[in-house]
Amino acid sequence: MTGDSLLSVQNLCVDLNTSAGSTAILRDISFEIATRQIVGVIGASGSGKTVLARALASWLSPPLGISAGRILFQGRDLVADAGLAKRLSGREIAYVGGNPAGALDPTMTVGTQIVEKLRAVRPGISVTDARKRAIELLSAVRIPAAHQRFHEYPFQYSGGMMQRAMIVDALISDPALLIADNITQPLDVTIAAQILKLLRELANEFDTGVLFVCSSLPVACDASDRVMVLHGGQVVEQQPPAALVQRPRHAYTQGLIAELPRLWDETTPAPMHGDARQPIMSVRGVSRSYSVRKPGGLGKVQVQAVRQVDFDVYAGDNFGVVGESGCGKSSLMRLLTGLEQPDSGEVLFEGTNVSTSSSAELRRLRRRFQLVLQDPYGSLPPQSTIGAILEEPLKIHRIGSARERRARAAEVMNEVGLPPSLYHELPMGLSAGQRQRVNVARAMILEPRLLIMDETLSALDQTEQGKMLSLFERLQAQHGFTYIFISHDLAMVRRVCSRIAVMYLGETVEVAPNRKLFFDPAHPYSRALLSAAPTLEQRRYRPEECLLEGEPPSPIDLPPGCSFANRCPHAFDRCRLESPRLRSSGEGALSACFLHQPSSQRATTAELLR
Amino acid sequence: MFIMVFLAKRLAQGTLIVVLVAFVIFTLLRVVPGDPVRLMAGGMAPETLIEQIATEMGLRDPIPVQFGRYIASVAQGDLGQSFMRPASGAAVGGASFDDMTRSERARVLDLIAEAAPKTLQLALLAMVFALIVAVPIGVAGGLHPGRWPDRMALYLGSVFVSLPNFWLGIVLALLLSVKLGWLPAIGYRGFAYTVLPAIVLAVEMAPFIIRTLTVSVAQIMRQSFIDIARIRGLSRLQIIVRHALKNASVPLLNLLGVQFSMLLGGVLVVEFIFDYPGLGLLTINAVLQRDFPLIQGIAIVTSAAFVLINIAVDLATTAIDPRLEY
Ligand SMILES: Nc1ncnc2c1ncn2[C@@H]1O[C@H](COP(=O)(O)OP(=O)(O)OP(=O)(O)O)[C@@H](O)[C@H]1O
Ligand code: SF4
Ligand SMILES: [Mg+2]
Repeated sequence: MTGDSLLSVQNLCVDLNTSAGSTAILRDISFEIATRQIVGVIGASGSGKTVLARALASWLSPPLGISAGRILFQGRDLVADAGLAKRLSGREIAYVGGNPAGALDPTMTVGTQIVEKLRAVRPGISVTDARKRAIELLSAVRIPAAHQRFHEYPFQYSGGMMQRAMIVDALISDPALLIADNITQPLDVTIAAQILKLLRELANEFDTGVLFVCSSLPVACDASDRVMVLHGGQVVEQQPPAALVQRPRHAYTQGLIAELPRLWDETTPAPMHGDARQPIMSVRGVSRSYSVRKPGGLGKVQVQAVRQVDFDVYAGDNFGVVGESGCGKSSLMRLLTGLEQPDSGEVLFEGTNVSTSSSAELRRLRRRFQLVLQDPYGSLPPQSTIGAILEEPLKIHRIGSARERRARAAEVMNEVGLPPSLYHELPMGLSAGQRQRVNVARAMILEPRLLIMDETLSALDQTEQGKMLSLFERLQAQHGFTYIFISHDLAMVRRVCSRIAVMYLGETVEVAPNRKLFFDPAHPYSRALLSAAPTLEQRRYRPEECLLEGEPPSPIDLPPGCSFANRCPHAFDRCRLESPRLRSSGEGALSACFLHQPSSQRATTAELLR
Repeated sequence: MFIMVFLAKRLAQGTLIVVLVAFVIFTLLRVVPGDPVRLMAGGMAPETLIEQIATEMGLRDPIPVQFGRYIASVAQGDLGQSFMRPASGAAVGGASFDDMTRSERARVLDLIAEAAPKTLQLALLAMVFALIVAVPIGVAGGLHPGRWPDRMALYLGSVFVSLPNFWLGIVLALLLSVKLGWLPAIGYRGFAYTVLPAIVLAVEMAPFIIRTLTVSVAQIMRQSFIDIARIRGLSRLQIIVRHALKNASVPLLNLLGVQFSMLLGGVLVVEFIFDYPGLGLLTINAVLQRDFPLIQGIAIVTSAAFVLINIAVDLATTAIDPRLEY
């Protein structure tokens, strides 16, 4: 399947040269890439993946520099011949990075810039030919209406489309080697899965060798023919993915694989349900829209961020809300906590309507439900000590004397595993994990009953995430907390949540118990999400069958009918006319899809629509 | 489509601004001490005559009434007549009050129409000189932050800024005109008379252009799309000319808009030094003579020019960077 050796890296060393001396960043790296071969590179953050990718693209700049070794590209050494390296870059060796957002000039259309780049590296090509080729490739990477998108500016592209445009930009000069550094990192799982599929097709079609740098082992294994593990600047092993997963040789790889959360492991116990007779929070037909300026024109348009969301959270539940970026998860969180009022519908907390409560009432309610936010760096006031941050909620609610408050702060610090010495420290020196613990401690100091976690663990690496989850479990056992986890991470949700709501374009399309959702999802979108989830396991849902092309439509002009209809592999006539509502799909699950709603329900749906 | 709506909206806003400016100036002129009729008629004129002229001219009506009358005629394109100047040219002296009839006085519009093109010519030439000097220095400084072109840009800017324009004007006039005889200096009898004052103005403007360019070019060169352009295979020249300079031109255009407006409104000192018959000199004389209609006329015309320049700059910058439209 793969061809001749294209790139041969021999004993490559890269040093960081500072006035204090030089430190080795990469040591003795050797590997080969053949034509049409995809070589994956994985490793922890800081292991040197990006430095390696940049070294191969001749893009290292001081203080980094190659101190030894050779990079033979088609037999010629790029380290020795800087002029050659410069001539090849962008032409035979192309690079795509993980941050497509700032990669192109914001003042020029995407098409113009791709044409400009092609003509810069292949001066013989006429503008018309270059344009034709760019539009061809843009359609090849499935940019919808490519001839039109060609004339749009970078800021008019979504993240996924921009990443595809950058792949076009890299491949348009027909390079022999493509270096892809974490290209799926900023993308949602369903879009990332599309890009990986595309990469494989392109490598075969254009005879390109690919170095695929990635921070997720499942993704790297999915995408590559061979996976190289980088640890502390050294290649500790390289094997084909299957062999690597079954017989990892190095301790680092073994640890990584052992820790990997699994989606479809029958032995992973599904967390216990709360008591269905005791809903602690009920969300009833909640909708919220925001008005924003119309792009490119005057006047306002309505963005429907949350539409008809319905679910109950039972006491003692771990309730999960999953969905891709922009699906309305965070807007929903603001409605749940009473930070904003819904346009219609209601949010009940222990029977009290959060949406209509007065601010004094709301403050009392807030003692009983607390929010833990996403960003560990933005949410702590930099000038207050940890102790002051923790005691602040007690002060606001006028609880206890100064001595008692201090004792209480020390107590929660101990509970979340923060050393007492941090009491007088500022948040500045804390690691991401410690910051998140401070956030959790601050939320639980008022002894709430419900904690809402908005992407609380997304900023942490796999190991630290595991520790936090054990902490949550312990706290739940001790205090009887109920959790709502808002997340895009299916593996995390699988491990901790008892019931899960799947959101798509502001709607809850499925609400199901853990096992039912992962083993027998009723909604086609849930299956698409599962088919795209990065995992090393045998997939229950094959991307070829579940994952359709395209991106979610904009929440501004929603098509009538089922909002998933334009990407749904099972869409039929009715889906484009009526909107499905949540109906029982068995085993205590609800799903909004006509597939399992007999058309006798048509009357009721029509009634509901009225 | 978008552009028509944009223009209509901005022009409507602009008209409102001009009317407001006119009202403020109008009111101010009528509350400050100093009766123009007294100046016009001369110190020797009897009180009754002054009152008579003032009433005839409507100067004793309530201010809103006067303003309404004024703005209605402005809307018809009539800026009124100068209090002081005869149609033939030089200001009329106070002594000749008795033989003055209104029809003989110069129309404000004519006075402005005569002076404005000279100021425009001066402003444009000054801008060209300033750009010729400042663009290479500023861009070079921005491309090599911390190195000698950057430092040179900084030093030159500080030197230019600290030269007082009246001093520079006099020195240049002495040197280039009196001593070397290369350029004429005082008055206006052809294009050559514009060069010296334009140089003085250019020296005044250049440091701001240099500073803006160094900062914006340096900032854009740090953006990731510039860095990435290199490994996409673009040449350095292409990156600088097509991308860095294009992006840096947005703040530059904004600055030039402001500077140009300032030139049109107030090259007072320079026009005065060189006795250059532009709007600045006209303004100075009008103020000294309390020539209300002329002062108002100049205020209206220059504020309208500000509004138009602003719109033009916004159109140009959105054409360069379409994100600004939003
Ligand atoms: N320009 C630089 N100056 C100084 N140190 C650098 C520079 N670039 C990288 N390093 C160091 O080199 C090491 C490897 O960094 P690198 O960016 O390659 O990690 P990575 O594996 O890509 O991590 P991530 O998964 O977070 O992207 C790190 O210790 C980093 O601090
Ligand atoms: S209702 Fe129709 S379009 Fe919507 S998910 Fe079900 S089958 Fe697909
Ligand atoms: Mg990296």
